[in-house]
Amino acid sequence: MTDAAPALFVALEQSGFAATIRQSTWLYPAANIGHIVSLTFFAGAVGVMDVRLLGGLAATAPARLLARARGFAIAALAGMALTGSVLFLAEASHIVLNPAFQLKAALVAAGLMNIAIYELWARRAVEGLAPGASMPARAKVAGLLSLGIWVAVAACGRSIAYF
Amino acid sequence: MTRSVFFSAAFALLTSAALAHHGWGSYDASKPVTVTGPIVTSKFENPHATITVGASDKVWTVTLAPTSRMNNRGATEKVVAVGQNISAYGYPSTVDKDEMRAERITVNGKTYEMR
Repeated sequence: MTDAAPALFVALEQSGFAATIRQSTWLYPAANIGHIVSLTFFAGAVGVMDVRLLGGLAATAPARLLARARGFAIAALAGMALTGSVLFLAEASHIVLNPAFQLKAALVAAGLMNIAIYELWARRAVEGLAPGASMPARAKVAGLLSLGIWVAVAACGRSIAYF
Repeated sequence: MTRSVFFSAAFALLTSAALAHHGWGSYDASKPVTVTGPIVTSKFENPHATITVGASDKVWTVTLAPTSRMNNRGATEKVVAVGQNISAYGYPSTVDKDEMRAERITVNGKTYEMR
């Protein structure tokens, strides 16, 4: 089943670290649990940010609320990347060919690009705003895209086991 | 910014070879099979323990359960070791004709549930 996978991913799966993940009783399930726990924090933080960009939670100035949530989001994303790498490495040559995983990877790239575009193009306009001020259209677009993309990433992640 | 560039590059790499992968959905529960014979190879690994069985028709790859569940059910690494005679009841893969997912296995007269 591994013959179609690019050599890099076959090598990753055959590495000593990947073997350790597979042979440990607790490492793989721990990464699985860690991935879900990180996901809940990530979804919470991103949800707060996106709702704020869309004009909700407007009692606090956007800069303050976004800064708080950003810290949680970055930490949770790092947790997801770490635990996700463990899950991926164990079966790299299979997962890399999984269509749900491929779509997920593309969506993660889209989500990160959405963040980059927001940071470059919308952040300054948003963070000077007072509490209750109406949000610029570009902020709403970024918030809406973010919500849609990250929910789709989660759905794709869960779908990897079924394709 | 560099991160998104990295992910784009990674994705371009990932999609260079795309083929269907078998998951838990792709087993045909309407055509259960029983595979009987000696265990040829055994990988007691996560996410699922996997063995190959030299049956009378061919060598089957039999997908078992996660190692923690295997241990809890008593189907330890020693039970599914190479050379043991096994009988595995389960469902054939619709993707890989030589693979099946075991619902239960019997070794030395003892049956272990895999779900």
